[in-house]
Amino acid sequence: MRYLIISCLLLVVSCASYTKKQQLENQISTEKIIKNPYFSDKNQDYVYKASIEVYSKIFGGLLIIKKIDKGNHRVVFTSEMGKKLFDFSITETNFKVNYILDELNKKLLINLLKTDFKALVQEETAILKSFSKENSQVFQTLILDKKHYYYASNQLDKIIRTGHRKEKVEFLFSDINNNIAKSIIIAHSNIKLQITLKSIN
Amino acid sequence: MRSVTILCFFFVLNLQAQKPMSTDEANALKNLVKQQAKTTKTITSDFVQYKHMDFLSNDIVTKGNLHFKAPNLVKWAYLEPFVYSVIFKNDQLYINDEGKKSNIDMSSSKLFKQLNGLIINSVKGDMFDAEEFTIEYFKMGGNSLVYFKPKEKKSAAFIEAFHLTFNAKGEVEIVKMIEPSGDYTKIVFSNKVLNNQISDALFNN
Repeated sequence: MRYLIISCLLLVVSCASYTKKQQLENQISTEKIIKNPYFSDKNQDYVYKASIEVYSKIFGGLLIIKKIDKGNHRVVFTSEMGKKLFDFSITETNFKVNYILDELNKKLLINLLKTDFKALVQEETAILKSFSKENSQVFQTLILDKKHYYYASNQLDKIIRTGHRKEKVEFLFSDINNNIAKSIIIAHSNIKLQITLKSIN
Repeated sequence: MRSVTILCFFFVLNLQAQKPMSTDEANALKNLVKQQAKTTKTITSDFVQYKHMDFLSNDIVTKGNLHFKAPNLVKWAYLEPFVYSVIFKNDQLYINDEGKKSNIDMSSSKLFKQLNGLIINSVKGDMFDAEEFTIEYFKMGGNSLVYFKPKEKKSAAFIEAFHLTFNAKGEVEIVKMIEPSGDYTKIVFSNKVLNNQISDALFNN
């Protein structure tokens, strides 16, 4: 009987929502939209030295992001020597592969990159719920039908994507200057994948 | 006066414009470059790389140096705005990414062998393989400009053409690799030194 109670208890704990587990406090906010300013300037070429660590293998290259128009970004990955590896157009309603190297042309990989880059570059996202935690405001949003939590102090510090009530991906923005995040880390917790970006312009 | 100005303008324009070479001129250039490539045992050079993509406001500029030792050792080292080097040696790619070292086995990749061959040949300028490329020759001021368009579909899928600019001595000054989309990578060499001593140790990662 005792075991039953303990296991029930464990079940309840593990079933607790992300917001409960993170001890986020409900908050009433008048804000309707959360803005990600880091890829919002049409006149800026965002160029990052990128390192992708996947299952302890490391790939390097340059990640180039450009806002073409409102709600329209181009995301291109090249090798250091300039060879294009993939080239995506991401709009509010559409995702287009302009080019991808044959070796990388796998549906699973493209979907993964699509969900990550969509959340990375999306400029305006509707707020569904508001919370607070310590010095941060936390906003629950939905991107591609997946829950994303935006953590903002004086600036947007991180975005957390959750799935099955657990943290799945963390987007960490730091070293921020003039609305450019000089350092960005995209870390997956369910698969061994981490993308590290360092601004070079 | 105005017509003189216009005339001068066209004259200057004409100097810059590229004109097709005659067969004799093209053969003379080919022989000069082949001779130059044959006597080149080592190359040391600085380079500036411009990555042009139509949607960007500015080209992405990276700088570094290149070492080549005959017959097939090549090291590209980027120094600005990041430190990164890649060595092509014995079917292997040795990478040093800001101190993180790795290597990739390319022995099974036909594409890599082709690419490596192209890199070495374009550094030396000796790409005059009529089976592999459709070749066009132009004069431009005192320099020569040669277009190499890959014939094989697989190569053509990611490279539309190589444009190589040679100086009067038959040395490569600019390599421009144009993608089918029109975006390109342009590498401009400077401070080139031929046939100085380069130790093999330079090509160890």
